[in-house]
Amino acid sequence: MAQTRDIFQAIADPTRRQIIGMLAQQSLNVNAIAKEFDITRQAVSLHVQFLNDCGLIIIRQQGRERYCVAQLEKLNEVTNWVDQYRKHWDTQFDSLEHYLANIQNK
Amino acid sequence: MTTYNSFKLEDNTITHTRLLDAPRELVWEVWTNPEHLKAWWGPNGFSITTNSMTVEPGQFWDFVMHGMGRDWDNKIEYVEVQKPSLLSYKHTGERSEDYNFTVTVLLEEVEGKTLLTMKSVFKSRAIIDELNEKVNAIEGGKQTLNRMEEYVQLMVDKH
Repeated sequence: MAQTRDIFQAIADPTRRQIIGMLAQQSLNVNAIAKEFDITRQAVSLHVQFLNDCGLIIIRQQGRERYCVAQLEKLNEVTNWVDQYRKHWDTQFDSLEHYLANIQNK
Repeated sequence: MTTYNSFKLEDNTITHTRLLDAPRELVWEVWTNPEHLKAWWGPNGFSITTNSMTVEPGQFWDFVMHGMGRDWDNKIEYVEVQKPSLLSYKHTGERSEDYNFTVTVLLEEVEGKTLLTMKSVFKSRAIIDELNEKVNAIEGGKQTLNRMEEYVQLMVDKH
């Protein structure tokens, strides 16, 4: 079962949604993002990496700083209801497959 | 094997297929027993609590999904129940009856595995187009962001 990171997983998480919201206003580095949250910088960094992996943001090196820039065009992927429905059930069937494999191995 | 996994939209019907490496009786069990359902049903990061479930025509599965910081009440009505090959149920919601839809899950034995076909039948093609249009009407990053959560919730509400 291929576990790909897609935009639907990206926006399923409230912290990631908040990060996207912040970056939609302005580009920020990870430290600046982390200041807004109670979780560790490391945890924020993982969320940023996730968003980067699915193409919702890009990370730009500027001198010593790495800036996160939102790529909001990617959100168009979620703007089609049928596509949401398809993706939702693809994920559900993955989950079902995984569960069936688990209970049969016991 | 991938040829068994498909998706299509035709007229007012959305069809998914998936070949599952499990006996049909087990797949049936996993769709009709709350103990199994709670292990796989619902979006990532969600959990579910079943209030009641009677898998018989005209009876209901009444459950709550927990996720994104709140509870989502769900109720589906079973329409047809033919163990272990066919299950159909109706989604009703707080929205207009026009948005109700019926899901049919067909289980067939294929090469020692189970071919699952899920058909979601909407009242009309116009309803599907309307849902798409409503979602597509939202343009621009900021607007999309503001409304995004709402649409994710719409998706979640439906299932």
